[in-house]
Amino acid sequence: MYGMLKRAIFFTLLAGLWQLLFWLGIWPEYVLPSPVSVCKTLARGFQDQSLLIGVAISMKRIAIGYGISLGVGIFVGLLIGRFRIFEDTLGSLISGLQTLPTICWLPLSLLWFGLNDRAIIFLVFMGAVLSIATGTDSGVKNVPPLYIRAAKTMGAKKWKLYLEVIIPAALPHIIIGMKQGWSFAWRSLMAGELLIVCLGLGHLLMIGRELNDMSQVIAVMMVIILIGILVDRLFFMKVERHIRERWGLVKS
Amino acid sequence: MSESVGVDNLIELDYVKIDGGQGTSKANSAKRDLCIQHVSKSFQSKNGSVYVLEDINLEINQGEFVCLVGPSGCGKTTLMNIVAGLEKADSGDVWANGRRIQGAGPDRVVIFQEAALFPWLNVIKNVEFGLKLKGISGRERRNIALEYLKMVHLTKFQNSHIHELSGGMKQRVAIARALAMNPEMLLMDEPFSALDAQTRWILHYELQNIWMKTKKTILFVTHNIREAVCLADRIFILSTSPGRIKKEFAIDLPRPRDDNDVNVAEYSTRIMQELKAEIDKVVRCEMDADSCVECDIKCTSVEPAKTDIGGGI
Ligand SMILES: Nc1ncnc2c1ncn2[C@@H]1O[C@H](COP(=O)(O)OP(=O)(O)OP(=O)(O)O)[C@@H](O)[C@H]1O
Ligand SMILES: [Mg+2]
Repeated sequence: MYGMLKRAIFFTLLAGLWQLLFWLGIWPEYVLPSPVSVCKTLARGFQDQSLLIGVAISMKRIAIGYGISLGVGIFVGLLIGRFRIFEDTLGSLISGLQTLPTICWLPLSLLWFGLNDRAIIFLVFMGAVLSIATGTDSGVKNVPPLYIRAAKTMGAKKWKLYLEVIIPAALPHIIIGMKQGWSFAWRSLMAGELLIVCLGLGHLLMIGRELNDMSQVIAVMMVIILIGILVDRLFFMKVERHIRERWGLVKS
Repeated sequence: MSESVGVDNLIELDYVKIDGGQGTSKANSAKRDLCIQHVSKSFQSKNGSVYVLEDINLEINQGEFVCLVGPSGCGKTTLMNIVAGLEKADSGDVWANGRRIQGAGPDRVVIFQEAALFPWLNVIKNVEFGLKLKGISGRERRNIALEYLKMVHLTKFQNSHIHELSGGMKQRVAIARALAMNPEMLLMDEPFSALDAQTRWILHYELQNIWMKTKKTILFVTHNIREAVCLADRIFILSTSPGRIKKEFAIDLPRPRDDNDVNVAEYSTRIMQELKAEIDKVVRCEMDADSCVECDIKCTSVEPAKTDIGGGI
């Protein structure tokens, strides 16, 4: 509660400072718009639904790309975590690829898929899949052997052992990989949308630039930040805390 | 008075004599619930092979409660794992319910020292876990689980999460989970050793009641002799390095027994003497010779090599 108050005061002061700079008129309006005009642009964006459509399109892309990477990443992570042969081969490939910034996949993606949605979805996928795979890998390696032995004596075998025991037991690590994967995916989505012309939030940013409409640029940036915070802080952090508590990894 | 009763009831059997026949045929073993024949096991380590178990022979009848007692590191857990099918013996056979065991199976459920409950499931779902693997339908599963939760007096906590339970409650859930599978036998590896004395006392009582009700075959590992006397029909003493069955005791006391019962205490003392020699042996080969100077253990058989530790710590 106290923290919230501090934060509220801080951001009000920040907005005040911004308004003050605007009034001083050091920079022209197309370089530094007033907070009021940014708010107006935001309101307009929601009223004529252009912002909402942008958000919807971006969210759809990330949902598809992230969804695919979730399935592939967990599967690959399980293979690496459980089988030596995959660890030595796929594992080293993945740790190598992780040094590559996701946006470097853009040229390849354009060649494979062309200037369209699928190229961006591929970027999102590449952004998230490596983190999810490594998270799953470390989760699988850290499953207490006791769980597996207990499950085996109760008759768990093969894929049931994976589904009922190994994956749930690895969840605290998987969720960390998912969280990191999400933030990489979100960044590469925005980068992709800036560079490939096909709607979405990143594209709205570029339109703002082309129209010299600084308040639109800032308004869209705010929406991007807001979504990032909502997903990262409100969703992933809550889920992670909940899981760690249930798994007895923290004292509540 | 009580002394004579105790000695009368304590049937001490020289193990070598029992096994003297060597003629445990397959037909014979089929009648037993568990039959361990000539099981040996060694582990490879950097300093060569460690012989953990050597020629273990054991026969347990249906519905019998048997305790394995031995000093730390003598291979009790290893033997348990072999019976459970979680580990392979180097040589020898284990027969359970007339079949040679190959791998783990739901007919022999293990209860470990730590409860090994799954934290992503609540209490009742944990108890249902094995039933679900067996493919039993939801409604029936729930009813069976509730029945066994009732047996360990935990129905009130059926919807609790695992991290909300105490150590004793967790172990009771683990017992319910094992019983719900309706296994041929229960394998319990020091299940109560992490618990405080009072909780253990309660659980000894509960376990005896459950055993009398369900008549399961139980193989129970402990290094607490009093616990063994309190629970077992027969006690096997394992010697150490390599682990061998050294002695067998039959405990013929009325149930349910109490940890603090005079007879239980008396039996324990007698068996303790048997074990003392083994513990001395462990001390001799595991600990540094001069450790005796530092600690309070009175191990008479060990001569301290050095007495000069003045500036040591
Ligand atoms: N995987 C392994 N590799 C090498 N040595 C092992 C392995 N497992 C057990 N041992 C050795 O086998 C011996 C017996 O171990 P085990 O766990 O069966 O003992 P225990 O009787 O259960 O002891 P405690 O009462 O302390 O639980 C020990 O000396 C141990 O060092
Ligand atoms: Mg042990």
